[in-house]
Amino acid sequence: MKPVVILVGADKGGVGKTTLARTLLDYLAARNTPARAFDSEFPRGALKRFHPKMTEIIDLETAADQIKVIDTLSTSDVKVSVIDVRAGLLSDTLKTFTEVGFFDLVNAGEFNFILFHVIGPSIASLEEIGEIRPYAAGREYLLVKNFINETSFFEWNPQLHKRYFKLAMDAVEVTIPKLNEMAFEQAELAGVPFSAFVANRDADGQTANNSLVLRGYVRSWMNQATSEYDRIGLIDRLSDRGVTTQAA
Amino acid sequence: MPGASHAGIVASLHGRTGKTLLARALVDYFILSGGRPYIFDTDAIERRLHALFPSAAHVVDLTIVRDQMALFDTLAKPLSEMRVVDVAYYSFTKFFELMRSTDFILEAQSHDIIPVIFFIPDRNADSFEAGVVLRDSFPDCRFIVVENAFFKKPNRHVKQRLAYKVMRAHNRRYIMPKLADSVVEALEDRNLSISDFMQQPISSGGDAPAVRS
Repeated sequence: MKPVVILVGADKGGVGKTTLARTLLDYLAARNTPARAFDSEFPRGALKRFHPKMTEIIDLETAADQIKVIDTLSTSDVKVSVIDVRAGLLSDTLKTFTEVGFFDLVNAGEFNFILFHVIGPSIASLEEIGEIRPYAAGREYLLVKNFINETSFFEWNPQLHKRYFKLAMDAVEVTIPKLNEMAFEQAELAGVPFSAFVANRDADGQTANNSLVLRGYVRSWMNQATSEYDRIGLIDRLSDRGVTTQAA
Repeated sequence: MPGASHAGIVASLHGRTGKTLLARALVDYFILSGGRPYIFDTDAIERRLHALFPSAAHVVDLTIVRDQMALFDTLAKPLSEMRVVDVAYYSFTKFFELMRSTDFILEAQSHDIIPVIFFIPDRNADSFEAGVVLRDSFPDCRFIVVENAFFKKPNRHVKQRLAYKVMRAHNRRYIMPKLADSVVEALEDRNLSISDFMQQPISSGGDAPAVRS
């Protein structure tokens, strides 16, 4: 398997990027695919709080940290790198990746690249599609509609919806359903991966005291996210770009 | 299993099947056995079980997440007390959806709690079908078909249904005997406690019956 970079990003904040990255890390673990994660929420680290062992906080604007990610891709035993890009930095990061020649290596077949572009319900968020799309030309571009915040994607206005989403006609749409607020809050407070919350484990692997009902909500929601990742054939996409690039 | 606790879940697809009467009998049985059972009434509108055990029964509205937690988190708690739930007919789907999504049976069993579903079909064909679906949805849960002798036998058309035959053939059964009119009338008195009455029945001397103050 070639090294693969999964970029999770948005230019707008509060669209659930980190939540999506968390579901991805749980999914990859469940599918026996080792992964490492980079959290560019520098210096705080949003993803690191939930997956501390596998996550490194980086500042993608510094050359040192760019090296840390890109130069280690071919040497690391772990082939999958998930990068949670800080809010507002997606286009900048893509620009940087272009400048350092990362996409040339992707085109040369050295690495695989998957972009999860998480969009929110605002026009600004939809306008990002036009900006981000060119970077993903010919690559795995997955447009994520995240319903975690009970978002509506202008589907009630078909014309507006079409105007934006036609920019990404060949993108694969990924839909993350809504999770009950109280369950989301508890999982947030617990500060552990969703899978550990469901299994009622705390950060040290000891039995936690999470509500059975809230664990049930998280479990059902994770099952839905898992079938969505299965539906888009995520594992196949990791290993064999080009075979499954058409829209689902 | 010595020391195990039971969670009795009384349910039916439609209303007026004797659910609350059976739940009440279970509660009183557990009280008479020296316990202090947890009692849950999921009928937040009529609250009939709560009216019978006002100080002990918890009313839960299953449309509210906090109430769902109060119910299922308590049902699965590793405590020795028995638990009884009266599942309102309009909460039927929600209750069992939650039971499935929380993986309640597994959780309860890991805490030495034995969940038991008491399902009361009525004369309608759909109640037998719901019973089969319910039983097969929780293969690891004890399932008891309750025959309420108060109901007339279903009509021929219903008896020919597969679901009716499956429910009839189910081996764990409980017959709720038909009660004499006078007993029904006595039981309708909310102030009458069956367990108090059993412990201190009306003596021949004409003492007042055991009535909750």
